[in-house]
Amino acid sequence: MKRDITVTAEVRASRGKNEARRTRRAGQIPAVLYGAYKDAVSVSVNPREILKIVRSSTGYNTIFNLAIEGGETTPVMLVDQQVEPVKGTLLHADLKRIDLTKRIRITVPVYTVGEPAGVKLQGGLLEVITRAIEIECLPDEIPESFSVDVSELMIGQSKRASDVALSASMKLVSAAETVIAHAVALRAEEVAPAAEAAPVAEAGAEAAEPEVIKKGKKEDEAAPEEKEKEKGKKK
Amino acid sequence: MMMPKKVKFRKQQRGRMTGKAWRGSSISFGEYGLKAMECAWITDRQIEAARIAMTRSIKRGGKVWIRLFPDKPITKKPAETRMGKGKGAPEQWVAVIRPGKILFEMEGVDRGTAQDAMRLAAHKLPIKTKFVSRDSVE
Repeated sequence: MKRDITVTAEVRASRGKNEARRTRRAGQIPAVLYGAYKDAVSVSVNPREILKIVRSSTGYNTIFNLAIEGGETTPVMLVDQQVEPVKGTLLHADLKRIDLTKRIRITVPVYTVGEPAGVKLQGGLLEVITRAIEIECLPDEIPESFSVDVSELMIGQSKRASDVALSASMKLVSAAETVIAHAVALRAEEVAPAAEAAPVAEAGAEAAEPEVIKKGKKEDEAAPEEKEKEKGKKK
Repeated sequence: MMMPKKVKFRKQQRGRMTGKAWRGSSISFGEYGLKAMECAWITDRQIEAARIAMTRSIKRGGKVWIRLFPDKPITKKPAETRMGKGKGAPEQWVAVIRPGKILFEMEGVDRGTAQDAMRLAAHKLPIKTKFVSRDSVE
């Protein structure tokens, strides 16, 4: 969805990890702008502005304006990002130029609505398999999300990507058979109480060892070669 | 207890635990997860204890994913043995965990229940952990 947000960016002249670290220390993050058959440009942006967009209701599918200082202002979308694994902060962002007149492929989140009958009446579990589907549409028509009503699902039944209500101009790119969510019967706990006590009793004993994959060829494979060698020796 | 079915070599060198978990650091299957904030060797027994604590806490309902596997053999020499005479016998299996790794995932329960279950599981582990959810963008 297009929103009237403008993010400012500066062109990065130098590259490399040292320069990227200096950029991050200065409160910016390195980013790259590409797409629309134009050259890629290395820029630096404020991560707070990008995160504000990601946290908004439209999330990653927000189209916003990127104003490069002393250069172009183009509608862009966040298509990829690198995140620090411990702190979860943004390290790098990929921004793609969007042509507002051309259809694009995007991934839209799918949410389930209601409590399935299989959970309420049969004591099953609703398992969400796919949380987003890929569609093709015009940039102005990008929906925030799709919702699928799962209240009628009994155990063993599922909702598929083809059950998602799309408007006439949208086209489903994901496979129509993709399971969105299904109601499944609960499995009993894997380890029975008696079996749980067993490892404690075995604690003193030596733990069973896994099979070691033997080196070299198997006997059947090695046999013909050995036979040939033996023949050669006899000759 | 979790351990590999087949191995190429019975014993391994100790190795290092430097760096962060650049892979396996985002929630892939469930709605909630438990993230490691330190590096450690987590043994098969600790994983099993955490799993049991979690599944008993959520009772019926909910699904749990274990995102770590103990594939590193740890050897130990018997007590009162002189040094030398080769490396000891394999005693236990551990998973090498680096900060940022998602250890467990959960789905099908509400946030409060998941948080409680993860807290109980975290008490069975030798490291600091953090409860994370899919919608939490830092």
